[in-house]
Formats: sequence, C-alpha cells, structure tokens
Amino acid sequence: MSVRRDIRHGARIGRAEFIRSVRRQLKNKRRLLGLGFAVLFFGGNLLFVLPTAYILGQTARSITTIPYLAPAATVLPAGILVLAIFRTLERIGSSDREDLLLTTVHPRSVVVGLITAEIGRVTVWFGLPLGAMLLTFALGLGSPSLPLAVGLLLLPIVCWAAVWGYASGLALLRVFRRLPTVHRTLKVGVVVVMLGLVVASQFVGRYVVEEGVSIRAVLDLLTFAPLTDYVALAFVGTRLEQPTSVAALGVLGVLLATIPLGLSLATRQASTLWFTDRPHSSESKAETTSTGGFQAPRPFAWRKSGRIAWGILIRGVRNPGELGHLVMILFFIGPLGTTVVQSSGDALGPLVAGTGVGIGTYLAGATFGLNPLGDDGPQLSLLLLTTTETRTVVRGRVLAGLAIGIPVAVLVSLASALLGTALRYAIAFAVVGVGMCLAAALFAVGIGAVYPIYEEREFWGTETVVPSTLVMIGYMFIVGGGTIIGLITTWYTLTGHVTVTPLLGIGVGVYLLLTIGMSYGSYRYALRRYRRYTID
Amino acid sequence: MPSTTDDIAIQATDLRKTYGSEIALDGVSLSIPTGTVYGFLGPNGAGKTTTMRLLTGLSRPTSGTVSIRGVSVDDRRNIASLVGYLPETPPLYEEFSAREQLEYVADLRDIPRSTAGERITEYLDQFELVDDADRRISGYSKGMKQKTAFIQSVLHDPDVLFLDEPTSGLDPRAARRIRDSITEFADAGTTVFLSTHILPVVEAVADEVGVLFDGHLVAESTPTELQSRAETGESGTLEDAFLAVTSESTTETVSEIE
Repeated sequence: MSVRRDIRHGARIGRAEFIRSVRRQLKNKRRLLGLGFAVLFFGGNLLFVLPTAYILGQTARSITTIPYLAPAATVLPAGILVLAIFRTLERIGSSDREDLLLTTVHPRSVVVGLITAEIGRVTVWFGLPLGAMLLTFALGLGSPSLPLAVGLLLLPIVCWAAVWGYASGLALLRVFRRLPTVHRTLKVGVVVVMLGLVVASQFVGRYVVEEGVSIRAVLDLLTFAPLTDYVALAFVGTRLEQPTSVAALGVLGVLLATIPLGLSLATRQASTLWFTDRPHSSESKAETTSTGGFQAPRPFAWRKSGRIAWGILIRGVRNPGELGHLVMILFFIGPLGTTVVQSSGDALGPLVAGTGVGIGTYLAGATFGLNPLGDDGPQLSLLLLTTTETRTVVRGRVLAGLAIGIPVAVLVSLASALLGTALRYAIAFAVVGVGMCLAAALFAVGIGAVYPIYEEREFWGTETVVPSTLVMIGYMFIVGGGTIIGLITTWYTLTGHVTVTPLLGIGVGVYLLLTIGMSYGSYRYALRRYRRYTID
Repeated sequence: MPSTTDDIAIQATDLRKTYGSEIALDGVSLSIPTGTVYGFLGPNGAGKTTTMRLLTGLSRPTSGTVSIRGVSVDDRRNIASLVGYLPETPPLYEEFSAREQLEYVADLRDIPRSTAGERITEYLDQFELVDDADRRISGYSKGMKQKTAFIQSVLHDPDVLFLDEPTSGLDPRAARRIRDSITEFADAGTTVFLSTHILPVVEAVADEVGVLFDGHLVAESTPTELQSRAETGESGTLEDAFLAVTSESTTETVSEIE
C-alpha cells in the first residue's frame, strides 16, 4: 500500500519537476533561441540519417545485418547508467525544494520523482531523434509497431540504469561528503582523464590503421550476447524475428527483479544523505579570514579600473569554482598538445609559442568576461549606483582577464626561445599575443553581455553562475578561428614566406578590421548593456 | 495539572547537535503542550534554525530524541501528516502559479480533490490572493510568496506548525494577516512553534517563550514571567527581557571561560 502511494507521489513529483524544467526553458527567449540553434545544428543530421535508416529497414535480412545493433545493445544500458551517475552527482542528487518535499512525502517518493523527471528530460533530448530514426527504420522494415515493442523493451533497461545510476551517484555523494579531499582529488583526476581521452583520440585512428586492429574484434568485445538476444525480442512478429532465447528472458527477469532492489538502495542512500549535514571543516574558518583590508598592488592600484580588476582577481582566487567553465578548453588543448608532442626540431618552438598565445588569448576573455552581467549580478544594484562610471567597471573586468591572459601569452612565447624559436620570432609572438589578448578580452565582455546567466547551477561539483554554453562555444570558435589565422599570418610574415600582393593586403586588412571592429563594437555593446541595465 | 503524553505536542529530550568540534546545540529539552503558541527567540547564530530542522526531522541530532504527538520524527511516513513547516525561505516553485503550487502540495498530502479545492479557495480568499492565484509565483512580491507558503504549510490541517520567521520582511498588512492566522490556528488546537526576531509578534501571540543562546536554552517561561525574571520593571517589554537574558548568558559564558 505504502509502495503504491510512494510511487503515485513520485509520479506526481516527477510530472511537476518536468513541467518546471519545460517552463524554465520556455520563459527565456534567448535560451529558446539557443535551443533553436542547437536543434537546427543537430536536427540537420537527421536529413541524412533518416533516409539511411529507411533503406536499412528495407534491406535488412536478419538482425545480425543491422550495423552496430549488438554492441549498441550493451553500450546503451552502460551509457545510461554512467549518465545517471553523472547527472546525480551534478544536478539531481537532491531536490531544490527539499524542505517542502521531505516534510510532505516519504523520501522514496522524492527519489522516484527526481528519477522520473530526469527520464522525461532525457527522453525529450535523446528520445525524440532516436524515436524518429527508429520509426523510419520500422517503416522501411514494414513493421510500424516496432517502435512500440522497442519502447516496451527499453523501459526496463532505462528504469534499471536510472535507478542503479541514481543509487551509485548518491553513494558517491555520501563518500564525497565524508571525504572532501577525495572529491577534490577526483575532480582533478577527471580533468586529467578527460585530457588523456582527448589526446588518446588523436592516436586511435593511426593505431587502427598501422596496427591492423580489427574493428569487428573491438565491437565483439563490446557485445554482451544476452543483451543482444533481449533487444532481439523487439523484432518478434517482424520478418527479422528470431527464436526467443532463454538468455533474453533471463535478462528481462534480472532487470525486473533488480529495479525494486535498486530503488530500495537509492532510497536508503537518499535518506542518509538528505537527513545528515555537511561536515564543517575546521580549516574553513582559517580560510575565511583575511587581514590588511583591500589594498591593490601596483600596477592595479594606479587606476580605479585596475582596483576593480584586482577585486575580481581576488574573488576568483578565493573561489576558483567560479572558473570551472574554463575546463572547456581541454577539448581544444588535447589535439593541439598532441601536435606539439609529435613535432620535433624547428617546428617545436614556434608551436609552443603559438600554443601559449592561443591559450593566453582564450583565458584573457573567457576567465572573467563571458558572463559579466551575471557575475556582477548580485552587486549590480551597488555598482550601478556608485559614482564610478560604467566604463570603469567594464574595463576592470577586461583588465582582470588581461592580467591572466597576457602573462601566459608573453611568457610562453618568450620561453619558446629555449626550444629553438629565434628570439626575434619569440618577441614577435609575444607582441602579437598581447594584441590578441586585448581583442579577445574586449570581445568577450560583449558576447557575454548578450546572454547573461544569473542563476547559479551545479557545475563541476560547485554551485556557481556559469556562462551560457552557447556563448562559450561561440567565443571559442570566433576567437579560436581569429587566433589561428593571426598566428599563421604572423609566422609566414616572420619567416618571409609571404609575397606581398594586393589580395593579401586586402585579406590582412579585412582580418584586422574585423578583429578590431568586432572587439571594439563588442566592448561598446557591453557598456550599453551595463548603462541600460534594469532589474526586471 | 501535569501534562500527560497525549497533551504534549512537541517533546525534545536532551538535543545535542555538533558539527565536528563546533557545538550548535547543547542539551536542549522542550516539552510543549498541545495548543500552545511557543515563541522561540534567540540572537543570530544561536541555533534556532538548527533546532527547527531537528524538530521537523529534516536533520538528525548528534544525540537526543524528538517526538511530535508521541510519534518519533524518525518515522517519516507518519510524521508528515502531523507537521506543517514554513522555513525562512519559502519553499515554492517559481514556475508554478499559487493555485498550481497549492494543488500540487494538496495532491502530495493526499487531501481529497474536492476538500483541497474548497480549502485552497478559502485560504486564497482569506489571504487576498484570489486575483493573483493564476499568476506564476516568479512574479509575486515577497509578501505574496510568504502568504502562499504559509497556506501551503497549513493546507493539511497539521497538529503542529513550525514557522521560521513567518513575518520577516512583510508589510504590516501581510504580517497582521499571518499573525492573526497563528492565533486562529492556536485557538483551534494547533500547536505553533514560532521562531522569529520580531519580538512584538511573539509578545502578541505567544503563550510561552523559550530563549536560545549559544546553543543552550537559557530561559523558558511565559512572556510575562520572562519580563519579571529579567527585572526590567513593569514598563519593560519583551525586547528588554530578551536583551537582559541574553546578556546575562553572555556574562555567565565569559565567567565559565575565565
């Protein structure tokens, strides 16, 4: 009786949480625009995938001829399990209205509700395109009821992975709460592993070709036959039907038997986690005191914008979690780093110099510039009502970014001289790097002001205000592209490989005009947004 | 007349809560009779919210026990119907309208749909929220949010109502509405545990007052007795008494340290 009631309450909570998510997405027009871009970008792929799926359905003669079905049957539950663990760690480990829910219903209902809402969200994101593919395949196969059968078979898999993923995620959260050092170490570990994966991905292709590794052998390794048999149950009644195996029924039995077990475990974990407090560290008191007042060192002390920059830097150092979004650069450093590692002789020095300029340029804008209004959000009512001019506030933010980016660009460029770059080249890279940092920092405050994010969210294990993903990606592509063009031009100019032609002159002119124009225009836009800021 | 177990709405025995070496609550015992409005006072950081969380079962004590109407707060399934809790930050979903929010909570509390509908309409009317009931809560003023959260906490007609700063930051009209409601609920037999800094509110509605200081319950009596104990004279207010009691305690603490 109580189980039924808890499930009913859970379903109600799940529905409410899902509706909230949808309304949150819909209420912000800019967010909707971002979503529209994402749908267009990824949805475009369906134009190619759907006809292929249709033809595949028409031509498939047996289940074994459907490409990647067997490994996918294994990878899918494992993938959902991992996704559920990460989402639990990142977002759904607790409700944001814990006080209300925990004094109203049993924790089991809350667990069911949070998991249900998450399944709903994931279904909207991934289920719709996958469903479209499946439906097209089924039409090609001539069995329109196939999606229904697949849905019924997937339901236990999804519930199993979601419940066990949630239980595992909560268990990890409990460990992290008890052992915060492990949490911190693991965060660094994940960054290193991610970097390793990005780097490794650069070698995989070559390794497969050079070593003659059989793709089929790899896929066989990823295949767990009983799961393939289980998925094959969906084809019963179609022309691809194969005899039902005991293993398939066994998988179904195991899934159905272990879902309640996982739910029970998740509820126990949740009850312990939600009704116990975070341990107070004795170190925290020592860390939260600072003496001497606010005194910016030179050269920051010279001007008010410098002192504002110093304040931003201090806050960044004291709360490095706010800079978690910089982790995005790892995806780009990986391939670049591999190229540097693989190069030798004359190429190494310039590549290191270029990498330094690239990273410095990225940091100059991305560190403090990609969400200026959002970062200043709680203090805006103070900042905008002081006698300090808006431009001083914005310049402070730009300077803070430059204080991070320029040293990286300049020092790495100069240090590349030790790796064989001619000193004049190293100096030239450093000078170009300073210009690029300035352009990036000015550009960042503008693009960041287009779509400010004010709400805190869990990011990389820290509750913080993170710039919009669309803004981060946009910044990375525009600044990354501009930096690469600038570096290549610089290198060819320095080495004398450039023949000055009118066309080249126009090209360089356009590049400089775009770089300077966009940066300055962006900075002016940020000023305007600050000046016209209203608390809505 | 000595209280029987049935007469006791909130029973807390020797509550202690520590965070590492830091002691948030030390040996707090409470025995609050049914139908009492209990004013819970204390300076910032005294441990009032921690106590509220322990009494509602949202946090577990390091040692000690709590029961509400004889039911241990660890019994989550049975405790939920007995208590209503309004935390300092109203636990509302900004994406919902007040009506949606209240219907949602009524559903989670298994209040029959027709009863819930009647109660919600009645409360919305009583708290002057009818005209805004279908607007999203994100557009509400602080007072409207607080009133919605208050309705939410009493919707299931709880035996014991825990209110954490229910009138803080409200305009006089909204504050008066909530204060009157507290009295009405108490008259109807509901026990109200009221934590607030606004001493005139306590003075107006509380039958009994407890003063928490530095994790210890340093005084517990009727408001009038508290004023007498603090020797503030006949003209003294509860505020004078509160300041006197907490400064006495500071002196005692300093003496103990010395």
